[in-house]
Amino acid sequence: MIDIRNLSKSFGKVQAVRDVTFSAPDGAVTGLLGANGAGKTTTLRMLSGLMKPDAGSLSVDGIDVGAQPLAAQARMGMLPDARGIYPRLTPREHIHYFGQLQGLAGERLAASTEALIEKLGLREIADRRAEGFSQGERTKVALARALVHNPRNVILDEPTNGLDIMSTRATRELIRRLRNEGCCVVFSSHIMQEVSALCDRIVVIAQGAVVAAGTPAELRAQTGCDSLEDAFVRLAGLADDTEEFSS
Amino acid sequence: MSFPWQRTWVVFRKEVMDGFRDRRSLYSILVSALLSPLIMAVLFTTMAERRRSAEELRLPVAGQAFAPAFVDWLRQQSGVTVVEAPGNPEAAVRGGDEDVVLVIGREFAERFARSLPAPVQLVGDVTRDTARPKIQRARALVSAYSSQMGSLRLMARGVSPAVATAVRLEDVEVSSAQQRAARILAFLPFLLVVAAFVGTLQIASDSTAGERERGSLEPLLLNPVPRSALIAGKWLAAACSGALSVVCSILLSTGVLSRIPLHELGGRFQLDATAYALMVAVVLPLVFFSSALVIFVAMLARSYKEAQTYLGMLLSLPLLPGALAPLFPLAGKPWLAVFPVLGQYALMEDLLGGKPPAAHWYVVAALALIGSAVVLLALTTRQLRRESIIFGRG
Repeated sequence: MIDIRNLSKSFGKVQAVRDVTFSAPDGAVTGLLGANGAGKTTTLRMLSGLMKPDAGSLSVDGIDVGAQPLAAQARMGMLPDARGIYPRLTPREHIHYFGQLQGLAGERLAASTEALIEKLGLREIADRRAEGFSQGERTKVALARALVHNPRNVILDEPTNGLDIMSTRATRELIRRLRNEGCCVVFSSHIMQEVSALCDRIVVIAQGAVVAAGTPAELRAQTGCDSLEDAFVRLAGLADDTEEFSS
Repeated sequence: MSFPWQRTWVVFRKEVMDGFRDRRSLYSILVSALLSPLIMAVLFTTMAERRRSAEELRLPVAGQAFAPAFVDWLRQQSGVTVVEAPGNPEAAVRGGDEDVVLVIGREFAERFARSLPAPVQLVGDVTRDTARPKIQRARALVSAYSSQMGSLRLMARGVSPAVATAVRLEDVEVSSAQQRAARILAFLPFLLVVAAFVGTLQIASDSTAGERERGSLEPLLLNPVPRSALIAGKWLAAACSGALSVVCSILLSTGVLSRIPLHELGGRFQLDATAYALMVAVVLPLVFFSSALVIFVAMLARSYKEAQTYLGMLLSLPLLPGALAPLFPLAGKPWLAVFPVLGQYALMEDLLGGKPPAAHWYVVAALALIGSAVVLLALTTRQLRRESIIFGRG
């Protein structure tokens, strides 16, 4: 359960996030939809506790991120915008390292590592050094290490960015599975097809502010459009992206 | 909340494993460890070589026919071999074919017979290091002959030669043989300080600037671990690699020192096992400081390359006191121990001079190093809160 209230953040004169309020319930996928530069990543960075908001509050399972960042981080698994991995470590070592940093050890760590290697299809490369991994392989490693502690809240910043079709499908499958396990899943994307295919709830962000929020049906009703695509274009000014997709 | 040492240990283990899989860090340890014994071996052998070549002087003499008695006298001096001079002495010296040539003037015999100063020229090039001892030796030979002949002439005239000596100068040497050898060994501390810094470089910069460059810093900070614990783990890993480099450097230096002909340098020089152990006690704590300093600086860099630029400039600072040691002697000032790096130079100079500093100075030095390291680490931890550091990538 993630709750964000009246969040604002400026960089110099540019107001990147203005008065953003939304909540993401457990057992549901909440999609953060917006064009590039709309403020999605900035919002998620503040949620991670690594960036201080100018105003507003964020809480994870009722824990205030500003007041208890470490406790909040322990309840989140996050795939940030930066997903660098260590070229001289194997995927298994990456998962182990992050698991130990999360406080896991022994049997639990081993079991969790095995489960993630299986779930993400890392078996073949699990003990190969990460140097020279493809974008998709790197994203899988980054995803695995973020989920090692079985977090109840999973936050993914553009998880399918740069992935091929197979990896994209696997990632979507993982998101659905996490939801079915009862997790609160938040993911950001600028691809409306992806958001409409996966999300139970959608938060549309444009120029740093929430312009609409609700279930896909509610959004269609709100805009008076028959298709979600038209609704998004109207709400978020995604026209440029639409052209990109149709061409 | 007590300090999460367990998480620090996790980071430490990962950085050490990562570091030792990195060829660059192995090279940097290897190079800094080999540097000191190699330089020492080369330096000592050439110094000994030079001294020997001055003692065994091969002296080309031009115009031998003008002063056969003088040439005979020269031949009788120990280690001197008189040979025929080249046709053009000045050209030969300028061209580097000869280090020194003695030219006896045409009017030598005539003036010598009339008890007038007989002309002799010493052709040499003082800017050439190899030539200087030979020139000095040749000059000493000529003036010895001159004063010997002068005394004989005075005696022949019934005057005591002592009359001609108004002042008698005597050198009283108060430095111990150990101290003289320490002057020769002055670069050993310098090389050990280099090892303490260079050994930490790779792990310290790869785990900071490298982490930023790869974009792995943000994911790392998403773990519920205090930044101070992360930094401490990286610090200890870098210090560990620095310590390895220092220990290798000392062990190899010991090996080289025991094999080189120190007695030929005039120093009755012996470093025993205790002295080496004390050297280790002085230099080893330095790695705690050097690694903290390198981590602090490298964390400001967005990329590995940028870090190397900063570190190149930074490294010249701790090496400065070592390079300037001949101008500003640090011996006999153990209180310098309160200053990182400077203190290590001071203590090592005393150690090498055979006057080991009092035990408490070692403790003071180590505490000063660790104290400064903690301050640097606290500053680095604060840097890690800055959004420009966390999110700013190279």
